[in-house]
Amino acid sequence: MSATRTVAVRTRLTELRGTGLLRTLGLLALLIITAGFWIFFSAFATGFTSDFNLFFLLRSAAIAVTIGFAQMVVLSIGDMNLSVGAIGGATGMFAGWLMQVLGVPPALAVLLALALGTSLGFGNAALVVWTHLNSFIVTLATASLITGGMLILTRARPFSNLPDSFLGIAQIELGGVPVAPLVLIMLGVALVLGLVYRSTSLGREMLAIGANRQAARMSGLAVGRIVLVAHGLSGLLAALAGAMSVAANNTASPGIGSDWVLASFVAPAIGGTLLSGGLVSVSGTVLGGLLVATISSGLLLMNVSNFWLSVFLGAVLLLAVGLDRITRTVGGAAS
Amino acid sequence: MSTIAPARVVLEAAGIRKQFPGVVALDDVSLRLRSGEIQALVGENGAGKSTLIKILTGVYQPDAGSVTIDGAPVRFGSARDALKAGISVVHQEHNLIPQFTVAENILLERIPTRLPQLVDYAAIYREARPWMKTVGLDMPATRSVSALSAAQMQLVEIAKALSLQARILLLDEPTAAITPHETGYLFRVLRELRAQGVAVVFVSHKLEEVFELADRVTVLRDGRNTALDHEIKGLTQDQMVTYMIGRSDVLAQLPARPARGEPVLEVRDLATEAGARGITFSLHRGEILGLYGLVGAGRTELAKAIIGELKVTGGDVLVRGRSARIRDLRDALARHRIGYVSENRKEEGLILLHSVLTNMSITIWRRLRLFGQWIRRSSETAAVMPLVKQLDVRAHSLAQQVGTLSGGNQQKVSLGKWLAADVEILIIDEPTIGIDIKTKNALHELIWNLAANGKAIMVISSDMPEIVRLADRILIMRNHRLVGDISNSHDYEEVSAAIMSRLS
Amino acid sequence: MVAIWRRMSGVALGLLIVDLAGALLLTVVTPSFTSTYNLFITGRDFSILLLVALAQMIVLAVGQMNLSIGAIGGLVAIVESGLMVSYDTPVVIAIACGLVLGAACGAVNGLLIHWTKVNSFILTLGTSYVFAGVNLGITHATPFYHIPGAVASFGQARIGAFPEIAIVTIVLAVALAVFLRQTVLGRQLLAVGGNPVAAALSGLPVRRVIVTAHGISGFFGAVAGTLLMAQLGEGQPTIGVTWILPSFAGPIIGGAVLAGGSAPLLGTVFAMVLVSLISDGLILVNANPYWVQFFVGALILGGVLLGRVRAVGLRDVFRLKSTAPPVTDRPAEEPVPRRPAEQK
Repeated sequence: MSATRTVAVRTRLTELRGTGLLRTLGLLALLIITAGFWIFFSAFATGFTSDFNLFFLLRSAAIAVTIGFAQMVVLSIGDMNLSVGAIGGATGMFAGWLMQVLGVPPALAVLLALALGTSLGFGNAALVVWTHLNSFIVTLATASLITGGMLILTRARPFSNLPDSFLGIAQIELGGVPVAPLVLIMLGVALVLGLVYRSTSLGREMLAIGANRQAARMSGLAVGRIVLVAHGLSGLLAALAGAMSVAANNTASPGIGSDWVLASFVAPAIGGTLLSGGLVSVSGTVLGGLLVATISSGLLLMNVSNFWLSVFLGAVLLLAVGLDRITRTVGGAAS
Repeated sequence: MSTIAPARVVLEAAGIRKQFPGVVALDDVSLRLRSGEIQALVGENGAGKSTLIKILTGVYQPDAGSVTIDGAPVRFGSARDALKAGISVVHQEHNLIPQFTVAENILLERIPTRLPQLVDYAAIYREARPWMKTVGLDMPATRSVSALSAAQMQLVEIAKALSLQARILLLDEPTAAITPHETGYLFRVLRELRAQGVAVVFVSHKLEEVFELADRVTVLRDGRNTALDHEIKGLTQDQMVTYMIGRSDVLAQLPARPARGEPVLEVRDLATEAGARGITFSLHRGEILGLYGLVGAGRTELAKAIIGELKVTGGDVLVRGRSARIRDLRDALARHRIGYVSENRKEEGLILLHSVLTNMSITIWRRLRLFGQWIRRSSETAAVMPLVKQLDVRAHSLAQQVGTLSGGNQQKVSLGKWLAADVEILIIDEPTIGIDIKTKNALHELIWNLAANGKAIMVISSDMPEIVRLADRILIMRNHRLVGDISNSHDYEEVSAAIMSRLS
Repeated sequence: MVAIWRRMSGVALGLLIVDLAGALLLTVVTPSFTSTYNLFITGRDFSILLLVALAQMIVLAVGQMNLSIGAIGGLVAIVESGLMVSYDTPVVIAIACGLVLGAACGAVNGLLIHWTKVNSFILTLGTSYVFAGVNLGITHATPFYHIPGAVASFGQARIGAFPEIAIVTIVLAVALAVFLRQTVLGRQLLAVGGNPVAAALSGLPVRRVIVTAHGISGFFGAVAGTLLMAQLGEGQPTIGVTWILPSFAGPIIGGAVLAGGSAPLLGTVFAMVLVSLISDGLILVNANPYWVQFFVGALILGGVLLGRVRAVGLRDVFRLKSTAPPVTDRPAEEPVPRRPAEQK
């Protein structure tokens, strides 16, 4: 009976999914697609493989991935953070102000900016945990509070006179190879996050409450504290992305972060992070960010209007979530 | 209603098979339904009754088998298709729109209109009222459904199903939440409908109701027919029970256990926000304490109040002789070594998306971690593996997603996480709900052995044979009060009679 | 009027009182508030933003959201002005095309959500970039200047302090109220939002309902874009880019719940009045314009917090434990005198 066979196949797929094999295959597919784009652009986009272009491509990928991480950590607990861009912009401006106006050394300025980002994330978490408000609404509102506050305080004036020692981390190449230190920073963050989710109690707890908050609570997990940490971490990563953008742009401008919302969801979504929580892929997010940066760079070199990039990104996001949905339906996830 | 000669088969399901990931819910199941007849569909929890109803009403699609109406094969893609074919249904879950009025809910499928498309509210209230009266709902038709009690909502659902005046009416446990008085109303209506030639399927656990109302009966056990379209006349209650439980249900007497030890959990004059008052009992080491009660008696709420999930408003909970203010399950687990196995595995018990390993080690992550945060996979596996063996969890590997396991195996994992944490006091809410008989027996033996090894266990169950088989003492709960505390002789006749006498 | 008054929710009533108090305050503090021109400007901005808020309210009613309202508004304004300017299309046809396009964009959102079952947030986030990208691809970020005078003058027209574009808004708001309260589809829409499972089991046409809600949302966004184009007198590609915040501010402050099932039209109207009063007040007192964004964010937070207080009481708002829904015993069997077979 064919119906029975279909069921058998579906059950088999479910089991595969259960053991994570499908996810590995998905990552592999993403890797092949990215490689395909690299080959395509190398052949058809003049200058794609030039040191100059690779340098910029990898640098923008590093920033895109970090932004994606900032969203991924809250997605892992089943929340979202619409204030990723607002935090990145505000902390970037804060760092710029510290360095230019107060003459604070870059390292300290960045640390303070990261601290500010973390506390803004804690603020989101406090509202989410203590009031049981939906994280969408909370972060929509705090995003406008944070951006509004930043614009009021700075009067929307950029800080463009930043110390060279700070800008260096985005501008210099590492030992003659076209790689900016920002890429190493991003890879370091990825490594840490990978370990957190794979091998630490915190990472496991975040995923558990993301997959089923009630069950996690009724298994004795401290849900409130974990939510706090996740949002704080998101704020920290958003601030890091903000500082990276300031360094890459040579200037702390109030526009930083205004277009991060989509980007923050695209990289994790393409990489196989479940938007409803409970399942993340750090390496997938890295690949997702790299793919987006690759496509942007390639299309730009091929003189495709920059505006169409927006269409492309939107379509990629839709495709990614659509595909995820389809594999899950085929896998027959307990519905 | 037309006056069709009775005994004409209007709906027939044959060879229905339905599989969900990890479990075969229905296997070669049939049902035959005639006009002017009330067919009872009975079976234990998890026998597949609701799944069959959902297939007949287009909510699920069968993997194999056929459904015919008036002899013509049909294939319902959605609930809408079934409605169009003249099938009306009361599902077990509540299916009302809380923001709408009673009348609007009753007429939701076919809102009366004046002009094309404009809602005629006057007509809604006018047309809904007779149906409300039919089921004995005495309230304004403009009352918002969100303001009703569970019983009243059930009546609204029944009124809604009746108002469709369909020729096939399926009722999935319609009497579960309503009073005997309201049940009387309902039965009168169903008999009238039968006289008018409507075909009725009546799903119930209550055998007296089945004998009182139905003409014929179809029995399911573990997703298979054990009786098909059997005449009620001449059937005894004993025979019916045999069909439902079967020979395989012969569960051996469990072996003797050492005597219980000192009390570890004492509840004194407890009052809770859920409405419990004056609850007093104690649970001893090495004891299995049963808590029996009907729907809405407040058993789960009591358990949740003890573990701090619901607010305690008065009285005392003592753990190992010391007064304990348990804030939440984290507190219960870490400070008092109490675990709670929820009856609701999907929402409260398990993380279906995650692996067997994660689900069983979730309670011990804090204990396992090194340098503050680090968890070594090997020590995690080492902690969980013996339990997987002891519980006989059937999984391909520790990495298998729990959502893809069968109900019995899921329950074992759900239990296993508390065993991993080595709790001393374990509250198990409905240990074998929706679980096949073999696994049920295994779980009983497991619980028995845990008690023999010194754990204090409280079993909440609405399955009387289970309670009688497992418990040393049985607390009986009714309307948020304890109405009995009887020592269990394991003699079913005697104990069940004793329990029943305290409930009536 | 009486019927409206009686049906008004507590939230709407509260907002109305705050609105009146705010208007009174502004009248006293800044004399220019009551000037005909100021009232006209404020009323005109309000008319457009209310449509944006209603566009969001209708999808919130089915328990979803639409992040692409602004993108649709922008795209529609560009298509209309492009047709009028570059192809000399008659005004009526151009606008009709634009409005149909807006409704179609919304309907596509609805269809995609229904088919793919992807969360509406992420889906409309994706389509918003697609719509905005097409807009920028067409225009290369340069506006279509010189739209026909009739359109531009309609955007500036007023009767006393009353902006003529407000007529459009009033007609649409009333039509939406009638739709939600008086039509079968409107009731079905709220039913699907109130309990999607029940609605499906009751055989309601869920797909049609979802597509309709999103179609209306797209249509309202398109009208808002058209009106803004008329007001600006040119097809600006940036139309709609700032609409996300006000679109949620209206319904959320007005008492809508993200879970669906409610469409607080009056609450949304009064909430948008409050937002307009705040914006206008800040301009009149020469405050930094960025305060508007700050205040709207604060208002949303305040609004939802207040709703939470109303729902669970002040004491429990900051209670750490989740106020879990009341637990009930699952429907189980009565004490059937069932006997294990061995007892026979």
